[in-house]
Amino acid sequence: MGSPCEILTKAADESLARELVDVVASEAWRIEDKFSRYLPGNVVARINNSNGEAIEVDDETANLLEFAASLFDMSGGRFDITSGVLRKAWVFDGSDRIPDDKLVQSILENVGWRKVAWERPSLVLRPGMQIDFGGIGKEYAVDKAAGLVIEKSATPTLLNFGGDVIATGSPAESNGWQVGIEASETAAGTAQRVIRLSQGALATSGDARRFILKDGVRYGHILDPTTGWPLKRAPRSVTVAADTCTEAGMLATLAMLNGAGAEEFLQAQNIQFWCQR
Amino acid sequence: MNSVAVSLATATCALLGTTTTSPVSAQEEPAWEFNTALLYYGESDDRVQDISLNVLAQRNFVDDRILTLGLAVDSLTGATPNGATPFDGPQTFTSPSGLQVWTSPAGEIPLDDSFLDTRYAITANWQQPFGRLNTINAGLSASNEFDYLHLGANLKLSHDLNKRNTTVSIALAVARDELTPIGGIPVPLSPMPDVGDLSNRTPDKSKDILDVVLGVTQVINRNLLVQLNYSFSDASGYLNDPYRIIGIADPVSGDPVVRTPTPGIPGPSHEYLFESRPAERTKHVLYGQAKYYMDGKVLNGSYRYMTDDWDIDSHTVDLRYRWPLGDSRYLEPHLRFYTQTHAEFYRPSIDGGSALPSYASADYRLGEFDAITVGLKYGWETASGNEWSARLEFYTVDGTVPANLLVGDQAGRKIYPDFDAIIAQFSYRFGK
Amino acid sequence: MRCKVVRSAAICVAAVVVSGCSTMGVEAWERDVLAMDEMQLVSDPVEIAIDDHIYFSKEASSGGRGFGGGGCGCN
Repeated sequence: MGSPCEILTKAADESLARELVDVVASEAWRIEDKFSRYLPGNVVARINNSNGEAIEVDDETANLLEFAASLFDMSGGRFDITSGVLRKAWVFDGSDRIPDDKLVQSILENVGWRKVAWERPSLVLRPGMQIDFGGIGKEYAVDKAAGLVIEKSATPTLLNFGGDVIATGSPAESNGWQVGIEASETAAGTAQRVIRLSQGALATSGDARRFILKDGVRYGHILDPTTGWPLKRAPRSVTVAADTCTEAGMLATLAMLNGAGAEEFLQAQNIQFWCQR
Repeated sequence: MNSVAVSLATATCALLGTTTTSPVSAQEEPAWEFNTALLYYGESDDRVQDISLNVLAQRNFVDDRILTLGLAVDSLTGATPNGATPFDGPQTFTSPSGLQVWTSPAGEIPLDDSFLDTRYAITANWQQPFGRLNTINAGLSASNEFDYLHLGANLKLSHDLNKRNTTVSIALAVARDELTPIGGIPVPLSPMPDVGDLSNRTPDKSKDILDVVLGVTQVINRNLLVQLNYSFSDASGYLNDPYRIIGIADPVSGDPVVRTPTPGIPGPSHEYLFESRPAERTKHVLYGQAKYYMDGKVLNGSYRYMTDDWDIDSHTVDLRYRWPLGDSRYLEPHLRFYTQTHAEFYRPSIDGGSALPSYASADYRLGEFDAITVGLKYGWETASGNEWSARLEFYTVDGTVPANLLVGDQAGRKIYPDFDAIIAQFSYRFGK
Repeated sequence: MRCKVVRSAAICVAAVVVSGCSTMGVEAWERDVLAMDEMQLVSDPVEIAIDDHIYFSKEASSGGRGFGGGGCGCN
């Protein structure tokens, strides 16, 4: 997942708490092992090394691919799980190195969900193309783990996978878990945002740490797959509250993908959100 | 715009395989927290009445730094005992301004009602951590009435020990108060003069106050927290009440000694002197508090012992019991017991047949009395997390004058100005 | 004389409390109740300030908990 994951639970006895931790940790590792692009031998590795051959996928992977396809449509092509290859051009390390546009355009040849032949359960990826579940995986893992917790116990539990948070209930004495949203560096000295979450999920999309700064212009790490370049005037961070972590995370990402129009987009969705510019 | 959120919800349902999820419930904590209260305080017999508005605003910053600002506005009216003892004849006094006289009816405790005043008070406090286990608090306070100005500064350092189960603290406060009473400061033990005579007045005076508090807070167990404080307080300068007098009483009858009036000029009917207190007062206070949680209910109890070099000892016991009713309402009964001994120089009147003492005051607040407060508070929390509360309390003060302080035939008379008071408060806490 | 006794008593009690307290208390994860608003030593600062001011004006004692916002001409 690339980030610390924690579970907070108000369980009545230690054995139940340990069981819940085991259940959550196992599910998180299972999903990571299965869908991480860094691990050899899993379904994603097989797809990315398929060299144009058709790959048959299991139900869970098929569901994720269907979901990615819907998101591609919903976002007008801006959410694209094949856009990962652009990282060969862009390194967001706070330096001022921006790539040559010719390089970006040549890599863009291998980006585009429309170029993928997906018909359940078979996926055909052109050689040179790669898929990456990084934009969906963490939130998905949070929701799946939460589902397992609810199955096991009604104990109020909070899962926090690197800032993607879900609450399955609120501890009796307080009304909600207090979730702090990190203020971006230029906002130092202002009040830290604290959100009381009694139920449901919070996800944050932001570029507080990964960016490039050149000539006073800040390039966030979220790239527009149609141009190959970072989005113009995206907010510093967007936090969304939704019933599931997947929805919260996707709405936050889609908002960022709207660049300058992020707030307008979020307002039209009739959901709770917090935007920082 | 099409609702992406709705399409997304459908897609997510298909992905996760769940058909029902509970709706999200999230609320941002407000940046500013306000705590406001409207108070009515009213004593029996048309005595002191106070209506005040209090506002406290708190803003939390990153890294546990907190700014707190407070404002209180009090509007005081009503009469207050001026220190003279009642007897079965009328008594006439010169008003504090020295411009006119007023008369108190026979048999009644003389009450001076010439005070209408509005007081403004502000406080500011900054709290911040330094190091992992220390906190520093720095504050300023100021208040203003037409005849009184207060300026103060305070500093507190706290340190946590034992896995933050113990906190030790030391606090220091200094204040300079300035008195500018109407008509000026009267010379202590000088006689109350005729109208228009301001010859016994001296320039405005001030007093300096120093407070030091040492405290320990300790977590006993999951449900019990206790605190113990020791305070030392030193006040020096002009500690008198410039408006209070003490009457000279006939050693046999105990009645006020009649004064020979100046022909043609209105003035006091009897002999009254302005009070006199020492120029220094040192207090020691020991305070203990415990808060105990019992299955949703909270018992809050405290005890305070005070002793000073004016010979006053006092004990205060305060009990509050918070009793929740359901999820968002509570009832809190309150009981307070207070008792104090009289100041060494307190006496209702001066014996006309003996030498004048160096210090003498008939201020009933320096006398011997017991006080009880009984009250009930009701609070309720709104859906948005704000809280209303209302409380009604009865405060009753019952004093005694020891026989050795009575002069002549004063025994059997109602000398100590007992009173009852109503305290009514309406509060609202909200965030913005 | 009495003041000296009170002062030494207070220091003794405090010393005993602080030293004997190293074994008392809770772990960080047992602070749920102590974190509640109603369990803070001063859970309603405005009400405490109002009461402190009323009793400071009517009685000869003040403080104990700390010090309030300042004096007034009422005592």
